[in-house]
Amino acid sequence: MGATTGVTLKPPKKKIHSLRALQENLTGYAFVAPAVIIILVFGLFPIIYSVYMSLFNWRIRKGDFTGLVNYIKIFGDWGGFAIFIGGLGLLGLAYWLWTRAFKSNSNLMRILQIGAAVVLIVAGIIMSMGWGKMIAAGDEDFLNSLIVTIFYAVGTVPLQLAIGIMFAYLLYQKIRGKEVFRMIYFLPYVTPVVTTAVVFRTIFSSRATSLANILLSWFNAGPLKWLFEPKAMSEVFLGLKLDGIAAGPSLALGTIILFGIWSFFGYNTVIFLAGLGGIPKELYEAAEIDGANSWSAFKNVTIPLLSPVSFYLFLVSFIGTFKAFNHLYVMATPNAQNTVVTASVQIFDVFYAQNNFGYAASQSIVLFLIILGLTIAQNKILGERVFYG
Amino acid sequence: MRNKFSAMIAMLLVAVFVMTACVPAATTTPEPVATLPPAVEPTKAEVPVVTEEPAPTDAWADVDPSGQQIVFWHQHTKARETALLEIVDEFNKTNEWGITVTAEYQGSYGDIFTKMLPILNTPDVPDLVVAYQNQAATYQLTEGLLDLNPLVNSPKWGISEEDQKDFFPGFWAQDVFPNFGNARLALPPNRSMEVMYYNSDWLKELGYDAPPTTPEEFKEMACKAATTPFSKATVEGSIGYELSVDASRFASWTFAFGGDVYDYENNSFTYNSEAGVAAMTYLKDLFDSGCARQVTEAYGDQTDFGNGSLLFTVGSSSGLPFYAQAASEGANFAWSVAAIPHTTPDPVMNVYGASVSVPNTTPERELAAFLFLKYYTNAEVQAKWAKVSQYFPVRASVADKMAGYFAADPAYKTAFDMLAYSHFEPPVPGYDFVRDEVEATMAAIVDGGDVVSLLDAINVKANEILADQLAQIQ
Repeated sequence: MGATTGVTLKPPKKKIHSLRALQENLTGYAFVAPAVIIILVFGLFPIIYSVYMSLFNWRIRKGDFTGLVNYIKIFGDWGGFAIFIGGLGLLGLAYWLWTRAFKSNSNLMRILQIGAAVVLIVAGIIMSMGWGKMIAAGDEDFLNSLIVTIFYAVGTVPLQLAIGIMFAYLLYQKIRGKEVFRMIYFLPYVTPVVTTAVVFRTIFSSRATSLANILLSWFNAGPLKWLFEPKAMSEVFLGLKLDGIAAGPSLALGTIILFGIWSFFGYNTVIFLAGLGGIPKELYEAAEIDGANSWSAFKNVTIPLLSPVSFYLFLVSFIGTFKAFNHLYVMATPNAQNTVVTASVQIFDVFYAQNNFGYAASQSIVLFLIILGLTIAQNKILGERVFYG
Repeated sequence: MRNKFSAMIAMLLVAVFVMTACVPAATTTPEPVATLPPAVEPTKAEVPVVTEEPAPTDAWADVDPSGQQIVFWHQHTKARETALLEIVDEFNKTNEWGITVTAEYQGSYGDIFTKMLPILNTPDVPDLVVAYQNQAATYQLTEGLLDLNPLVNSPKWGISEEDQKDFFPGFWAQDVFPNFGNARLALPPNRSMEVMYYNSDWLKELGYDAPPTTPEEFKEMACKAATTPFSKATVEGSIGYELSVDASRFASWTFAFGGDVYDYENNSFTYNSEAGVAAMTYLKDLFDSGCARQVTEAYGDQTDFGNGSLLFTVGSSSGLPFYAQAASEGANFAWSVAAIPHTTPDPVMNVYGASVSVPNTTPERELAAFLFLKYYTNAEVQAKWAKVSQYFPVRASVADKMAGYFAADPAYKTAFDMLAYSHFEPPVPGYDFVRDEVEATMAAIVDGGDVVSLLDAINVKANEILADQLAQIQ
């Protein structure tokens, strides 16, 4: 009896465990809940709501459900879009063949390399066809703004990183007053971008008496129109008369790219400096013993060991250039026409000037997907080359 | 993991096909329309709408505005904001209903416009908001504003017939919108005008004793100035005219050449009209002749005018105090304003200005907002407001109260006397977007583009934008 009483008084071990587990779980969820709520409300909800808006004819007020009409308006028809995506797929195939080539024996390598080159050319032709169809039938303004955005990103990010790593390496040496230099290089990044953009706008005005043109006159060069010049740099500097994408960015965009580089290289410098601090000194000593000069040490020790930092900065900068808005908006002039209108500026105009909220939302989603796709591609291509020590 | 991924892709594809299937057959992109859709009567649940004809009964008679606390969004800064706050204070102290107005600076006209769009017809709207006519028209696409006609004509609360007649007729009519069933969407507290600023001393040095009245005279003087610098100039170089690429400038020059940028009978833009082409060809010729250049920095023309290197510029009369300051602190010369040189017998002056609208809230708050507007536009307050703001008053009787001010500021008086020749830019929704496009077109023209083809293209685009906007009227 007593034994029986004992059994009934003590709850089963399993039950205790499950109660304790539940308690622990609840505590865990309670700790996680604030972060989850914040991410859901401020992170995911706006994205989901944008997708929702993009499916309606949403002007100042919500209109009819239109499904994918806004997306069709962007791409013109699905045919051109499908051809373009097919071209992208072939581009991926070319890359795969190329990387496989280096893992194969010499005979196969040559075949794979030739195959990759052929697929690359075909991919280019197909993408060009698809793009042409989209431009002809879709939203030319938005599609052009994507090209301008890519010009801006490609013009800005590599130079930003190169200058950043160079200055970081210089500041890492034993030079007097390096803290002051560090602060000076970081200043453009912490100064309000609208203010500095206005100053740049004055420096690079088309007047013959603007600071940039006075500098040019010291070298006996004629004044340039800078931010007011819609012509491509290839035409202004080289006299080449090319059309469309082949012409490259306008001088107005080139000037804005200059601003982007000036504005952000300081940030990159500081991050690279932190990365340099993490490289063991012994590696440099060992390289020195092995007879490496400064350049060899930089090339074979510094660059590989900085690759995680470079990779991080590359990704963040690339995403940043795709989302850039403030300085582009301030520095745009009517004379530059649409050569400085990036996707984010175009979306802003569609939202506020055309008050077409649903369509602007669909453009935002497309831009979001492009950034996501590029980030995944970069992660795949560059991530494999990162050396983590 | 791979299976899950495949399943997700499959679900996505299904979703895409389903949504594609949901696409309506007709595209939402509206075809450009030649005529307007039928005008709509803004509807309002709380207060019955009265149209042009005064209603036999006063729908507002029983509404009580007592104790309402209302908010006024404006763009005024510095002396203008101080004066406005004094006017608001005075109203708050003296109004018999205990209404309290709070005036809030909310940035530029553009800032206010972008803040208003997402909150129309929500409890977040202010009770009074500064808005240009085209902005008010955009707000009204959502029926977001109160039609003030019933209140203006209300026997109990309204503005007397005599007082209504005291408003300059053009200003009074400017806030009535034919696109919205002749609804009155605002009341005007002030106006400005595009005028030509000129350096009188420099003109005398060039051998002229009066400003130009025709485009030919203007070109002759401007070109002479480009090669003959002003003796008192504080900087090197000289130029006859500086053009800021701006849709209002386009309109002003087109008016001066005897045309318009909008056809009110057919409700369509007319940027490629004969007068528009003539005006832009004329300006391009000034550039090609080296007599004019483009304004490239904010208020760059004001700076150049002040330092004596610029003979003529065209801008808003609201800039009068700033030009006065630039001239006195710069090359210190005599200057004045005149009509833009014109081919018409009389000048045609581009008059504009933001009015104050009443967004839909509750009848009590709407009435309180209207009562403040009525106070803000009475003759006494107008005289005070005009003197401080240097805007033009909107009522004729105010001129009598400003005799001393006219004597002290002859340039203001000169401009005021030209109000009789007023003309306006179109009060249509989407005009902000059209303006951006017009600016790009003007820039292309002064950069050497073909006038006719560029104006043809902008006209098509402007009418597409208009049709797209008007298609939203339900």
